[in-house]
Amino acid sequence: MARRGAWPLWFVLGVLTLLHFYLRPRVYTGQGAPDFLLLALLILSIRSRPGTAAVAGFVVGLVADVLSPARFGAGMLAHTLVAYGAAWGRAVFFADNLLVNAGVFFVGTWMRNFLVLLLSGFAAEAVFGSVTLWFTLQAITTALAGVLVVLAIRHRVDFRLEE
Amino acid sequence: MHRATDRSSLRRDTVLFLVCVTLSVGALLTPTRWTLAFANTIRETAFLPLVLLQQRAEEGRTSRGRLREAMAQRDSAALAAQSVTGLRVENERLRLLLGLSTRQAGSFVPAEVLHQSMPTDGRTLLLSAGSRAGVSAYQPVVAPEGLVGVVSRVGPTSSIANSWAHPEFRVSAVTADGAVLGIVAPSASTDPSLNVLEFRGVAYRDTVPDGTLVLTSGLGGVYPRGIPIGQVKGVRREELGWERVYRLIPMVNPGIVSHVLLLTSPADTSAPAVLSDSLP
Repeated sequence: MARRGAWPLWFVLGVLTLLHFYLRPRVYTGQGAPDFLLLALLILSIRSRPGTAAVAGFVVGLVADVLSPARFGAGMLAHTLVAYGAAWGRAVFFADNLLVNAGVFFVGTWMRNFLVLLLSGFAAEAVFGSVTLWFTLQAITTALAGVLVVLAIRHRVDFRLEE
Repeated sequence: MHRATDRSSLRRDTVLFLVCVTLSVGALLTPTRWTLAFANTIRETAFLPLVLLQQRAEEGRTSRGRLREAMAQRDSAALAAQSVTGLRVENERLRLLLGLSTRQAGSFVPAEVLHQSMPTDGRTLLLSAGSRAGVSAYQPVVAPEGLVGVVSRVGPTSSIANSWAHPEFRVSAVTADGAVLGIVAPSASTDPSLNVLEFRGVAYRDTVPDGTLVLTSGLGGVYPRGIPIGQVKGVRREELGWERVYRLIPMVNPGIVSHVLLLTSPADTSAPAVLSDSLP
């Protein structure tokens, strides 16, 4: 499907940001809740050049670090790496498939959480122990939310899903 | 021509990536007091709309539940208040007999907890009250069930608290009967069902039975005495026959707490009445 213009993607990213800061705290703020801001970053990353994705990741990481400063810089580095990786992955081997997109959202969220914990100085037993359960759950819910978003915007934004 | 353009784009991508990574690593290596001040400034300026939006959503979510809770507490308080006047008079007379000064009243600032989606949320908490509401650094943060943590950084409209899960958290503690003193600190656990604290520095000769309530002792000048911290659940380890370290199940889970109180009263007073209801 041909791309109809760039504005719908920015509209989608804006809506996801609004969902993250308004709907999410209104409904459920537990550790397993989907991360809409990261989802917006991954959607942007898999449609952008790696450099643009890295800058977007850095900005989203800055937001995360400012609002939850366990270790300043951990969020920035983790989001930059994940966004850059997602952009490169798309360029190298990702097929335009809904399931693959879901996989990107799952792996992206899981890797972001893992990197943040590791860079924040959490003990190895905590990283591989109890916390893993929660951030795996968050990766699943984020991937599910991502699939719903992709299905909703497939005719507006150029995702080129296989029919 | 196309190849040259591609190569140029590739180089630009790599440069942008390296700049972002360098800035991130630089932030990681910068001293915490500088980065916290920087984060505070951005949070109170550029990101303030995001914080206010989240605060509004959080208030919307909890308002109905809190109204019911507040009404139930008001009814209980009205019942309990009937005997308060007599007790206060009796207490003042006894303090006078013992030569003690007048008991100081505790005060607090209420705040919403604005949870974030990061896995480190719960270790540090973003609170919706700042210096304009009377919040300052090192004020204890409590929930009705017990101790949550301590304020670490304050901005005009928001503040950051380190919860008991923060690796730097320490509090002087005492068992409810006042018999055993120690230090409470966080403990990493591989068991998903046990995110726990440690009650350290207990002499080998002292035994603390399971289920014992551990409170803040008031020593150290930060936390007032009498705030519930947790309940003992077994011995975690023994240090060379001279110290026992007990496992403590916290009274409050910072990951799900939505509303807290920041104690603004002097540290030498005991915990405010709102917490005394949770004591057995």
